[in-house]
Amino acid sequence: MTLTGEFFAFMALALVAIIGGVLLLNLNKVVHMVVALIFTFVAIAGIYILLNAEFVAAVQVLIYSGAITIIMLFGIMLTKPYDDEGESASNGSKWRRILLFLGVVGFAFAVYVGIYNFPIDQVPSNLHENNTLEVGKALYSKYIIPFEFVSVLLLASLIGAIILAKREDKEGDSK
Amino acid sequence: MSSVPASAFLALALILFCIGLYGALTKRNTVIVLISIELMLNAVNINLVTFSKYGMAPSITGQVFALFAMAVAAAEAAVGLAILMSLYRNKKTVNIDEMDQMKH
Amino acid sequence: MMENAWLIPLFPLLSFLILLLIGKRLREASAYVGILLTLASLVFSILVLFERFTEPTYITKFDWLTIGDLHLTAGFEVNQLNALMLFIVSLVSFLVHTYSKGYMHGDERFPVFYAYLGLFTFAMLGLVISPNLLQTYIFWELVGVGSFLLIGFYFYKEEAKAAAKKAFIMTRIGDVGLFIGMILIFWQTKSFEYSEIFRAVEAGAVSQTMITLTAILIFIGAVGKSGQFPLHTWLPDAMEGPTPVSALIHAATMVAAGVYLVAALFPLFQASQTALLTVATIGAFTAIFAASIGLVQTDIKRVLAYSTVSQLGYMMLALGSAGYVAGVFHLMTHAFFKALLFLAAGSVIHAVHTQNIEEMGGLWKKLKFTGPLFLIGTLAISGVPGLSGFFSKDEILVAAWEGGHPVLFLLALIAAFFTAFYMFRLFFLVFTGEARGEQKHVHESPSLMTLPMLVLGVLAIIGGYVNTPWFGSFLGDWLVDGNEALGHGHIEGPAWIMIAATVVSLLGIYLAWLIYGKRSVARDWLSGAGGTLHTILLNKYYVDEFYQLIVVNFVKGFSYFLRFIDVFLVEGIVKGVAGFVQGLGITGSKMQNGQVQTYGAVAFIGLAVLAVIFALTGGYLK
Repeated sequence: MTLTGEFFAFMALALVAIIGGVLLLNLNKVVHMVVALIFTFVAIAGIYILLNAEFVAAVQVLIYSGAITIIMLFGIMLTKPYDDEGESASNGSKWRRILLFLGVVGFAFAVYVGIYNFPIDQVPSNLHENNTLEVGKALYSKYIIPFEFVSVLLLASLIGAIILAKREDKEGDSK
Repeated sequence: MSSVPASAFLALALILFCIGLYGALTKRNTVIVLISIELMLNAVNINLVTFSKYGMAPSITGQVFALFAMAVAAAEAAVGLAILMSLYRNKKTVNIDEMDQMKH
Repeated sequence: MMENAWLIPLFPLLSFLILLLIGKRLREASAYVGILLTLASLVFSILVLFERFTEPTYITKFDWLTIGDLHLTAGFEVNQLNALMLFIVSLVSFLVHTYSKGYMHGDERFPVFYAYLGLFTFAMLGLVISPNLLQTYIFWELVGVGSFLLIGFYFYKEEAKAAAKKAFIMTRIGDVGLFIGMILIFWQTKSFEYSEIFRAVEAGAVSQTMITLTAILIFIGAVGKSGQFPLHTWLPDAMEGPTPVSALIHAATMVAAGVYLVAALFPLFQASQTALLTVATIGAFTAIFAASIGLVQTDIKRVLAYSTVSQLGYMMLALGSAGYVAGVFHLMTHAFFKALLFLAAGSVIHAVHTQNIEEMGGLWKKLKFTGPLFLIGTLAISGVPGLSGFFSKDEILVAAWEGGHPVLFLLALIAAFFTAFYMFRLFFLVFTGEARGEQKHVHESPSLMTLPMLVLGVLAIIGGYVNTPWFGSFLGDWLVDGNEALGHGHIEGPAWIMIAATVVSLLGIYLAWLIYGKRSVARDWLSGAGGTLHTILLNKYYVDEFYQLIVVNFVKGFSYFLRFIDVFLVEGIVKGVAGFVQGLGITGSKMQNGQVQTYGAVAFIGLAVLAVIFALTGGYLK
């Protein structure tokens, strides 16, 4: 492993992403958590660039850092803002947290063992050349049907979200 | 060739996934739970993109699927939040541990 | 006629069933059902008995159970002993049925009483015609049930309840012995048939030790049923039942079942000198033991009960001394005069409404009918020459002497003296002198009650003449006819035995007259002289207390120990298992709380555990 710029970039981005995640867990105010998450999303976009996926990185910034975060903020504001994430005092939940933490650590350990033993031979790739063009070609040729399905899905979820979020007319009023 | 091994990306994805998982299973605020799920989806996307570059047969397909996953995640976030709104109107709370009508 | 002998037990059974079904509607009329049906039994029995005088033994049987090569049979047999027992049982049962019509008059559970009487009579008649041990055992237990029900007839009285339980449990101890003996016999001879057993024993197919063992085990059953020492304590307590029941069951029939059993299996006992000696010793000891207790009791029925125990001891002594005829003869005469005595005692109790002889007295003039009949019974049991008891007792004494048991002979002689003394003590206290207690409305019993007593009184006088040294031993010759193994019909004994027996009984009567009749000797002369002895006798040698101390306390302690194990060990384990499962269930149901996060957490932790295990072991790869 050589100390290249790529390495430093990766380390910095990874650090930001993880710190953002940890802050998400530990901050007290809901809005702060969402803000912490933006750091993570942006850092992940940087990781995508390191992985020669410029178009995905752009979409990541647009959708996650932009749209989803904004939606979430709206959600928070429309419900009870600054709902303090107070420690639920009950013993059961404390035990559950501890158990869950152990479970997560165990799971991470098990998967890490898998990653550690995963044989990866690096094969030279040309993904960095005309990345956006290649993605567009793949989307509109090979994956055209899934792509259309995604658009249908998005439309359906759009309508569904509107119907769900619409204030229901009281039955007595409509009659 | 890259100076950062593929396993480093996978490990990062693992850590983010675990953080998301822990958050999704412990946080009381439903919005935060939703966000945590987004984080988990992101970790999966990192894996997809990593394998699109460092896999046995590098190709653009991994990135395309990351895009699909993002689209589905966006749709999920929108519908999830709409459901949350609807629930909040009825129960005046966003605490996930008070939403237990399904047990009856 | 004999081929229809199986009908005899069925009449009382029919009576039992009818009264069970419609007894409540019949009320007091149910007595007629019982009386008529037992009369039918009696008529059949008499016919069978007379036919048996001339015809040979009739036996019939059919296969009841077939298991492999094994054939268990059921059927009936009319031999001399059975025919005689049929006659005695059905006669006494019929008389008691008649007597009870008067005695139980006005009782609320009148039909139930007759139903129980029917059940008991059925069982007893069935017992005496059984051709094999298994059938005998079944009826033996049924008889025990009948006895239990009738002793506990006044179940609202604590004493009656306790007495019924005691009778059941004490006889049960004996029955266990009988049961084991029965199984051993079956094991050795592969048959329950009496004839097969005797054949096997005669052919020497069974070892001497085994014969002795089985004989003694069966004798233990007889000890329980016949109230022999040491299982005698239930019989006096059984007097809590109605008096006709005491006459029927606890004087004439059921308690004689033990004697009958020994008599029926006599060839088996004869094959073992040790068994015979055991029977004789227990019998003689019981005779004098019970007689000595009878000297001081104050309850009229208890005196008679101890006298019964003592007389049964006599019978056992006779059988144990190889005096088969003497034993059976005494069984018959005893049935007559003891039933008479009990019925007369019932009549007295009916008249004065007390059982304490200290509160009676001067009843001779008031009970013009009962008094003489009671006197007849007393004379007969005391062995005064000319009455039935004299002849049978003489036979027993001769058998004991000739059997080579001088000590037992002496004991029997002393017991005879005691018998005469306490019976006349009873008679003088009840019927002579001045009335001691409050006696209002003393009246003679109705003729329904006196007539059965009259019949028994006649039989108590003449019953002995069927087998006497003077007029021929018809009964004895008939009983052993065709079966030489049972011994001689009549054992010739020296003449002085008869004189000694007479003198002894007259002495006893004279002494009783001196103390209780003429009162020339102070009443506390004897009890004062031997104060301790008197107390011991009054408390029946403390046998009950001894049992209480040793057996009951031991059993109680043992059961407490078992209860301790049950409560703390068994129940602890059970409760532990139940609690564990319950806790698991409670935890499980708490999981079902509708919290998606909890569900997710549980599912994920399960996955994590699997993943860790997989990572550590390498899954299938290792």
